[in-house]
Amino acid sequence: MTTLRFPLSRIEGHARVEMEVLDGQVKTAQFQAIELRGFRFFMIGTPAEQMPVIVPRICGVCSTAHHVASVKALEDVYQVTPPELASKIREVLLLGQLIQNQATSLFIFTMPDRVGASSLFHMDQDEANAEQQLSLAQRSLKIRQIGTDLITLAGGQFIHPIKAVIGGVTSGIKREAADGMLKALDEMLPVACHLFDTYWDMSISMKERIGTWGDDQPAFYIASTGRSHPSFNSDEIRVLGPDGTERASFPPRLFRSYLEYDETEYSYAGQSSYQGQVMRANSLARVNLALSMGTPLADEYLQKLTHTFGKPAHPILLFDLCRGIELVYAFERAIELLSKDLDYEDTAIPYTPHDGEGYGLVEAPRGPLIHHYKVKDGLIEDVEFIIPTVHNMLAIERALKVAGERYITPAGIDLELEKAVGRVVRAFDPCIACATQ
Amino acid sequence: MSEKKTLPSFAVLQLSGCAGCEVSLINASEWVDKYQLVYMPLVVSTHTVPDDTEILLVSGGVRNDEDVYNLRRSTELVDQVIAVGTCAISGGVANLGDRDEVRAMFTAQDNRHHLPHLLPKSHPVDAFVDVDLYLPGCPPTPELFMAALSGPQDYQAGSTVCVECGREKLKEMRPKHLLGFQQGEVTPDICLINQGYLCVGSSTRGGCRAICTIPGHPCVGCRGPSNAYIEKESQVWFDRVQKVFERLTDIPPDEINRALHSPQLSLFLFQFADYLDGGRPPRLKEKVL
Ligand code: SF4
Ligand code: SF4
Repeated sequence: MTTLRFPLSRIEGHARVEMEVLDGQVKTAQFQAIELRGFRFFMIGTPAEQMPVIVPRICGVCSTAHHVASVKALEDVYQVTPPELASKIREVLLLGQLIQNQATSLFIFTMPDRVGASSLFHMDQDEANAEQQLSLAQRSLKIRQIGTDLITLAGGQFIHPIKAVIGGVTSGIKREAADGMLKALDEMLPVACHLFDTYWDMSISMKERIGTWGDDQPAFYIASTGRSHPSFNSDEIRVLGPDGTERASFPPRLFRSYLEYDETEYSYAGQSSYQGQVMRANSLARVNLALSMGTPLADEYLQKLTHTFGKPAHPILLFDLCRGIELVYAFERAIELLSKDLDYEDTAIPYTPHDGEGYGLVEAPRGPLIHHYKVKDGLIEDVEFIIPTVHNMLAIERALKVAGERYITPAGIDLELEKAVGRVVRAFDPCIACATQ
Repeated sequence: MSEKKTLPSFAVLQLSGCAGCEVSLINASEWVDKYQLVYMPLVVSTHTVPDDTEILLVSGGVRNDEDVYNLRRSTELVDQVIAVGTCAISGGVANLGDRDEVRAMFTAQDNRHHLPHLLPKSHPVDAFVDVDLYLPGCPPTPELFMAALSGPQDYQAGSTVCVECGREKLKEMRPKHLLGFQQGEVTPDICLINQGYLCVGSSTRGGCRAICTIPGHPCVGCRGPSNAYIEKESQVWFDRVQKVFERLTDIPPDEINRALHSPQLSLFLFQFADYLDGGRPPRLKEKVL
């Protein structure tokens, strides 16, 4: 038996892939998350109302999703419904996260794969291209920055937001600040589209070089997005079958009736399934589960995708293209929201803390995220984090095995395999800090 | 060769953290054409720190034996070590795991095949290697990252978060009880302590530009103690926060004392998490940005 070990980079957190090969056949492909900090243990005993400040530290990439899920879980415990203004501001916050994340995944994590470079900052050693290179890096970072600015505007602290509070938000968004943000969004939207076009072309060239958009089987899809158009401040999870029919829809408190969860001894991250079936979460799942994007430019891109790949679309490199579609959507939707008044009085509704149990759901960039708290004497008695990357774990391993089979034959191991491992993993954009907590 | 080669080089070693520090560094995009980033697994596919690297930023706490190994090995190869973020400086949020009630649950996870072996607690970086500069914050802002990279000598900041916050402190608005963190409306422009919130901006080092308190959330002290307290033991800091509340409110001292000493309180994570067991010498203020 030969064991191949692939260290991973350009993903969030510490992980590696191991494949066992016997006589040119891939026996196993394991995705190993190698870090553990233990939030699900050490959060026990925390004063409940502090959770929204502490849990963003589970992950600096997905912090906004944790912040909002936490507030929603406590609102479920205390039976308080935030005012409309608060929901809108939380949506802006989640859109900021989406822009930041999708821009990072597209331009920093996966674009280098398309041109065979080690990073966005080292894409070309050639002097002649250096300038163009720098401009590409700078434009990519500027687009990403728009996401950060939105998070700061709607969330206060720029990485670990603080503005969502139980019952609402601490403050609205002043007209002047909203106008400044609108100006930046308007200015950068065409730049984002242009970069995404470049990315799409690069992806086609890569596909031509390697000969596939991904040859793994179709799978189930899970997301908490809306039926007619995307939704991130969500309240219901849905599952789509490989044939495109909806198989289930349920509120977060019923997740155990639909999802199975297992732990393995080779990873600090667990794995979940839809009743034993491999499922996929993240951009491709959302795009497959919603009828349209609901904004003009994003819908044009969606049509282009559907035209070529149908719906539901299955090849895994489409995760990356769907991230681009969502990037454009998030710009357009943020423009819509900020054009309206977000600075009226009604920011929060008072509540009385009491003991109980609650579930908070949001659609994080990587899929549906649930926080589940039990509160006793004002302290967290028990806590569960149901993490999108964990929903993708079986799908990642299956796709890795398929990639292994493509590049490993009795004649030998094709050097392309290492790159393929990176491409497969990054298509799912896993987050290890979240998956292990 | 190209000009790129002559740019100062830096590397980022990520130990056990949340990547928020790295995200903040990426936000500080001005370094892109001023520095050469030679190692940072989050964004660059190289697997080791090259051995002529000038600056090493270390983020995250030391949580497992692989962290210890990577830290020791990488710091040997570089000229200057900067510990960034609360996790690297004090062990950070993972210090909450250092309680008897939860330690056993955590270490029970450590029975897995060929995965890094978990240490019983999270350690700061300087428990293992010498650190030249500390950059506190959870995470430090992009502005602070740039200041750390280009040398802190020109960096200007208010001494405390209060100084940068600008909310007005009133003698006549005196709450009788703590509101805690989140309960109730926030009035603009008036000090959060006057409104009954447990804010520790008065003793937290400035530099973040009061990004939490200005929009209305109390400071949880993620930048750590200001220079007035950083070289002293935690009791001095507690006394000082207590005094500020006595001056501005009619909240019973007992109530504040209890709130400040709650071992699960988030502000505890950031201020004195690792000083608590008394074993560590305080950091010199000259070394803290
Ligand atoms: S210091 Fe804060 S932002 Fe940095 S790694 Fe630790 S938890 Fe994350
Ligand atoms: S206001 Fe306080 S908690 Fe917020 S970033 Fe500044 S030091 Fe950290």
